[in-house]
Amino acid sequence: MKALIRQAVRTGFTFGIVNIFFVLIGFNTLIGILLAKLSGIKQPGIIPAPKFLIIYTLLIGLWVGFSAIAKKNELEFGKKVLISGLAGLTTGFLAGLLNAVLAFLLINKVNARDFLTVLSFDFIKGTLFGLPPVSGILMTVVYFTLASLVGGTILALLNLKPVKNAWNATKFFIRSEVDKIQTVTQGKNRLLWQILAISLVAVIVVILPLKWGSYWNYVFGTVGLYVILGLGLNIIVGLSGQLVLGYIAFFAIGAYSMALLNSPVPHNLMWGFWPALVLGVVLAALSGLLLGLPLMRLRGDYLAIVTLGFGEIIRILLKSDLLTKFTGGPRGIQNISGPTLFGKPFASDIDFMFLIIGGVLLAVFVYSRLQHSRTGRAWLSIREDELVARASGVNTVTYKLLALAIGAAFAGLAGGIYASRNQFTGPDEHALMASINVLSLIIVGGMGNIPGTLLGAFALKGLPEILREFANFRLLAFGALLVFMMLSRPEGLIPSRRPKYQLPKDPDKIDSGKEAKND
Amino acid sequence: MTDIIIQARGVTKIFGGLTAVNAVDIDVEKGSIFSIIGPNGAGKTTLFNCISGFYTPDHGDILFKGESLKGNSTDVVSSRGLSRTYQNIRLFSNLTAIENVMVGQHPRLKESWLDAIVHSPRCKREERASIIEGMKWLEFVGLSGLANATSTSLPYGAQRRLEIARALGSQPQLLLLDEPTAGMNPHETLEMTALIRRMRDEFNITIILIEHDMHVVMGISDHIAVLDFGNKIAEGSPTEIQNDKRVIEAYLGPGGSALAEKYLREKSL
Repeated sequence: MKALIRQAVRTGFTFGIVNIFFVLIGFNTLIGILLAKLSGIKQPGIIPAPKFLIIYTLLIGLWVGFSAIAKKNELEFGKKVLISGLAGLTTGFLAGLLNAVLAFLLINKVNARDFLTVLSFDFIKGTLFGLPPVSGILMTVVYFTLASLVGGTILALLNLKPVKNAWNATKFFIRSEVDKIQTVTQGKNRLLWQILAISLVAVIVVILPLKWGSYWNYVFGTVGLYVILGLGLNIIVGLSGQLVLGYIAFFAIGAYSMALLNSPVPHNLMWGFWPALVLGVVLAALSGLLLGLPLMRLRGDYLAIVTLGFGEIIRILLKSDLLTKFTGGPRGIQNISGPTLFGKPFASDIDFMFLIIGGVLLAVFVYSRLQHSRTGRAWLSIREDELVARASGVNTVTYKLLALAIGAAFAGLAGGIYASRNQFTGPDEHALMASINVLSLIIVGGMGNIPGTLLGAFALKGLPEILREFANFRLLAFGALLVFMMLSRPEGLIPSRRPKYQLPKDPDKIDSGKEAKND
Repeated sequence: MTDIIIQARGVTKIFGGLTAVNAVDIDVEKGSIFSIIGPNGAGKTTLFNCISGFYTPDHGDILFKGESLKGNSTDVVSSRGLSRTYQNIRLFSNLTAIENVMVGQHPRLKESWLDAIVHSPRCKREERASIIEGMKWLEFVGLSGLANATSTSLPYGAQRRLEIARALGSQPQLLLLDEPTAGMNPHETLEMTALIRRMRDEFNITIILIEHDMHVVMGISDHIAVLDFGNKIAEGSPTEIQNDKRVIEAYLGPGGSALAEKYLREKSL
């Protein structure tokens, strides 16, 4: 029992400290504003109404209760409730202490904003739920304890035998139903089901861009471009195992090919969208090959550092005074003309969305065909053990260069569409942070697989656009997400799964020896 | 001399001041099982690495089917029909068993990345044939039910056999096995010995073996070479090697052969 109490207090203490940090950076008001917006209030102001701050407190309290008794399944019901209450009380005590300090500042009119910008008097009043100081402090403790108690009780109830059995039964039922559907779709009419699924996706893909307006087209266009980038980098990092950090340089090459060939300044070449896109892809692939040549002897950290340098060289070259006449210099290139299709302009936000969807489909298609082929297996073997791969007959140099070239071509494609859509590109769009973004999205999503890349692109590129409120916290959230992911799910949100192979139905039909002679 | 598959001619490998392999000559007959034995640090694995292309010998040459292998990288050596396994198991750990074998088939297939993208007839045919053949090799080494298991999830003995299946994937004419029975229990060792023999008998694969277990070596070898401090000190049939004084002394130290004789005499009395 003593150990249990100590654990509970420790959990509460941890949450208490985290809560203090949250309050000191103004996270509580941020959540409050978000909650207010969700409940339909258009202009919540800088400090939201007290009730939203109370909800924030209760949410944190619930979390304390949950984690206080998480993984303690064997405990009795009563003890669980007790422990959660104790943890909540500890957190509440710390929060109360903080509020006491804040209340002291408020009463004595000490301006703490010189030290911490969020600590305005209004903020402190809000944090005390708009109550007089003493009752505000007391209520903090009460809210935390109550919420934690409720959280603990809920979890304890869920873990009771009957509830658990019912839950398991439901899970089993759902799984068996899913299996039934799968056997139906995998059976005789497999082709029919595939056609049905594809047409469903096609209908969604055609209708959605027309319906959801230019803002969403912009947001999901960006997500789509990052999917293409993510898949390209996944070929290099996820499949062939080469940690390339300057990946965005290939994107820059695609973007600048498009820009230089289709902008009135500095060259006024005006080749048109499609030739420029193709040239951008080819140039990116070639630069991938060229970069690859000196990289072939490097591995791991050294490879990462050299490619990091490559990315910076490209960016600084684009920015340099020397090349300003040729590349537009630090100001970038404006007024890039949009694509045309059969002589008609094809440059509205909807058109670009279609273009990007086409690019994503192409990238997904190429990636999925490659990943389980002889080429894909050769890449994977290089990732797993380069020496042994080589001794098994894989020409590692060729395959590593191939991975770099194909991955770079994907980036070139994304870059070309990107520059044309924004009608602008400049050197600072291609900074190191963009490379890190792409790498993070494949790590978070799940290295080396398509659904992971889609989810990662959405999570890291789509969500920040949707959650504009968090703009100031984006990098913080980004870092926290990465740390959390690496600790809890190092293989990513959707881990890669190996394909299952089965002996073909009539293995004797094709004699590999005979077939080889026919060649 | 047409039935000699591989010849080492004065192969020497020097690391800094240490001569790991010193002017070793070896001739291996096609279809034989050839063992290389010797105390720890005798240079057996170094010789293996020279033959399979991991190291380039400092002096001497290696002729495979009459052509020099010297200076070729391991992938070229492998595509000529020479494969190997490793002393410490080195599987592609996150791939499944069948995928490991399919990587082994790599040098024999022609399917390119463009084939894979457009799903050309060649790609479909090769992919199918390679699954069938991979399953065949897995069955041959006794892993037929485990095709889709991740290779690291397999038990130790199975991992060793999977390494052999991967090496067989390239349909080699010469197979180098580096301590195939290391760490195995007597039962597994017997199975492995039978497997080695079957590879030779059923597929006429020449096998060069490094092995410490003398029961295995004496039981299956047609020919044995003994290395000590990088020098080849003896070569011959198992019975010749068993009675070679220098071999016994290399293992037991100076005066060892007298000791051994005494021991054998006492035992027979």
